[in-house]
Amino acid sequence: MRTGAIAVGVLLLVAACTVAFLVGGVHLSIADLVAGRGEEGQTARLLASLRAPRIGLAALVGGCLALAGAALQALLKNPLADPFLLGTSGGAAVGAAGAALLGLSPLLSPAAAFVGAAAASLGVALLARRGGRLDLQRLLLAGLIANAFFSALLLAAFSIASGEAARSMLFWMMGSLADATPRKVAALFPYALAGAAVLVAAAARLNLFSVGEENAAALGVDTERTKRIVFLASSLLTGVAVAFAGVIGFVGLLVPHAVRAAFGNDQRTLLPASFLVGATLVVAADAVARAAIAPVELPIGALTAALGAPVFAWLLLRTP
Amino acid sequence: MSVIARQPVLYAIASFSLLVGCRAERAKPADRRSVSSPHRVVALAPNLTEIVFALGAGDSLVGVSEYSDFPDAARRIARVGGLEVDAEKVAALRPDLVLAMAEGTARGAVSMLQAAGLPVAVVPSGSLDAVLSGIRLVGARLGRTEEAERLARDLERRRADVARRVAGRRRPRTLLLVWPDPPQAAGGGTFLNDLLREAGADNLVADRSGWPVLSPEYVATVPVELLVIPDSEQTREAYARAFRSGPLSRGPVTRARVVRLDESALTRPGPRVFDVLEKLAESLS
Amino acid sequence: MSAAAPNRLEARGLVADYGAAPVLRGLDAAIPAGAIAAVLGENGSGKSTLLKVFARVVAIGGGDVRLDGERLDALPRRQTAQRIAYVPQSVDLVFPIRTLDLVLQGRAPYARGFVAETADDRLRALEAMRACDVEALAQRDAASLSGGERRRVFLARALAQEAQVWLLDEPTSGLDPRHRLEFLETLWRIHGERGTTVVLVTHEVALAGDLATRVLLLKDGRTIAQGDRASVLTAENLERTFGAPFSGRGSRFALRSAVLPMGSLEP
Repeated sequence: MRTGAIAVGVLLLVAACTVAFLVGGVHLSIADLVAGRGEEGQTARLLASLRAPRIGLAALVGGCLALAGAALQALLKNPLADPFLLGTSGGAAVGAAGAALLGLSPLLSPAAAFVGAAAASLGVALLARRGGRLDLQRLLLAGLIANAFFSALLLAAFSIASGEAARSMLFWMMGSLADATPRKVAALFPYALAGAAVLVAAAARLNLFSVGEENAAALGVDTERTKRIVFLASSLLTGVAVAFAGVIGFVGLLVPHAVRAAFGNDQRTLLPASFLVGATLVVAADAVARAAIAPVELPIGALTAALGAPVFAWLLLRTP
Repeated sequence: MSVIARQPVLYAIASFSLLVGCRAERAKPADRRSVSSPHRVVALAPNLTEIVFALGAGDSLVGVSEYSDFPDAARRIARVGGLEVDAEKVAALRPDLVLAMAEGTARGAVSMLQAAGLPVAVVPSGSLDAVLSGIRLVGARLGRTEEAERLARDLERRRADVARRVAGRRRPRTLLLVWPDPPQAAGGGTFLNDLLREAGADNLVADRSGWPVLSPEYVATVPVELLVIPDSEQTREAYARAFRSGPLSRGPVTRARVVRLDESALTRPGPRVFDVLEKLAESLS
Repeated sequence: MSAAAPNRLEARGLVADYGAAPVLRGLDAAIPAGAIAAVLGENGSGKSTLLKVFARVVAIGGGDVRLDGERLDALPRRQTAQRIAYVPQSVDLVFPIRTLDLVLQGRAPYARGFVAETADDRLRALEAMRACDVEALAQRDAASLSGGERRRVFLARALAQEAQVWLLDEPTSGLDPRHRLEFLETLWRIHGERGTTVVLVTHEVALAGDLATRVLLLKDGRTIAQGDRASVLTAENLERTFGAPFSGRGSRFALRSAVLPMGSLEP
């Protein structure tokens, strides 16, 4: 089962990347790319150099979000858990907004977003502490509160922001892979790798958590340590994803659902498969965002939300 | 520290708000109850302020929009809010004429002022033709029909001159950006599109209406020959960055000719737009 | 505590919270190896919490808890999980899980890192399921099982865990007579075969009367009596524990079975 799922995931991802590379508002001619000279060759190569890092970034971001979502769903024993539920996206948005309002260089935006995400995660975790332990129920509630609070802050910031700040905030909040560079991909990669390694290593423990926290404790798991590690790793993955690409919602919620429906809930399969399918989804969504109403780009966060919400509603309706 | 934007990005924001669904619909046409020669006038948009001054009625202004900074004398007049009209302030000034923009002044604000019994004139501005009829309308309401007619005729003459000069010339492939990153251009149906066309340029995105936000892919590969960008203190840095390392740093756009036009003149549908028209047409020759 | 060897499980002055309120307030308990110990008490008396402390699901707030003479909280968790199996009263299965995989979770304390279950693990799991008569359910989604089937599956899991101590929280609650009988017969059989120490939480006096070799009566987080069945199960003690009148045989009822011994409150 496991190798089958991974194989399917890899195939889908490769297919998506290929299509995404070829597709877009501007036509990319492979002939020109490979053998073209002069103007055509230059344009083709330029286009390729724009699309490749973008696809790379999309894949990494999608993978991180889906993986974080899968891990959180297992940890919280809640199929509706989503990395953005825990306040991380709100914090990241406020971080980026703050940087924009202070007039900081947009180059610092990702760093500011990550700081915001980290602060939000930490704050939410502290709120959810109860007698020295991390209370998972309170974690969800604390996350909801945090998001509501951050939304209010964002609206306030938006209303007093200058043109430049407001624009960068808005595009950032809707998600954008537009300024993907190889350097960004290289910067994101180690974080994605670290977070993914930690979570996949915790797969067996997460299997126990998905039956229940008490279940895991009774079977010898150090639950406090596991909770902390999984929560931190998920927050890290979510924070960097949002820092580099803005708010792209529903991926962390729906991809684990889909993979679970197809391949079951064994975390040792679900986690890596979710990463691959999440990557595929965002690569595909980005291709649609670029091609649908070219030369105008759809904001990818709006796209995933517009598609994700009805899919999610359908999922809710069909569960008995 | 960022500064609350002046009018420079008014259009961008207003139209962007249109993009994200804010309501800035067309307001109702001019109100009949008016004084023949008003001496307490409030202008709710900077271009309207400029028109009033251009008609020689500057000292009848008692309140102007936040971003009114041309001519210099306008800076000394009381502010009544920017995109958000401060209706209370307007009412407190006891105006006998309020000038609002057809596109851009929120309909809600206009209705509110009308409901308060204030005479409101809604001035069209969506095209060069509209600017001219707008000047005439304001002139009529201010009791300055002669000055308005003189000004309008002068502007029409200059416009026709330009048309003659550009006739038969090759039209360079052009993009007019109102924002560098993400790159947002003036599309069809906007008065900036009219400006480009009449100045002899070929607007590459004329087939897209409104203010399309362009994908970086497009900007990096489109064979643009001329790039027209607004120049202002606030946006200079952003454009510089875009040229250095942003969406304007790659592809044919780096070899395009760049024409910088004063932002306030470029984006305000008033008499100065015709200065810009001439300057642009000249740059193209 | 008259045995030469230490008791299998022992608590002295145990204090523990569950949630906000303190539940165990200085509880003493001694459970000898191989006993079937019934822990009786009202709801809220702390019997489930006691089990959870033994299972290391709830932390020790004060006092001493020992497993075979060693302090429980000083032992590595993996080790205690290999020696103590916990069967909760109910488990809400939110995600789909194959019954076999649920039983295989019992092998988790023996697992090395990320590796999947070994063939040996699978063997033991299937054997355990056979012993509990749930082998046929192996491929089914555990969420689709009936209450009785699920209880026996968790019993199989405890068996697969190869623990010397089983902690069962209200194992017969909600079971209809047939499933209750099946469960108890399985339990009895396995206990007979392996000498497992069983700690059973229940508020059914009859169950204690039928099965237990040791009885603990809990009230308000403390033990008011513990010892062998005959000496502890008196009308007076039961009245103190439950606040309800008991007579020698009055409120008792028992199921007749060829397998279970039918003990009685002989004076």
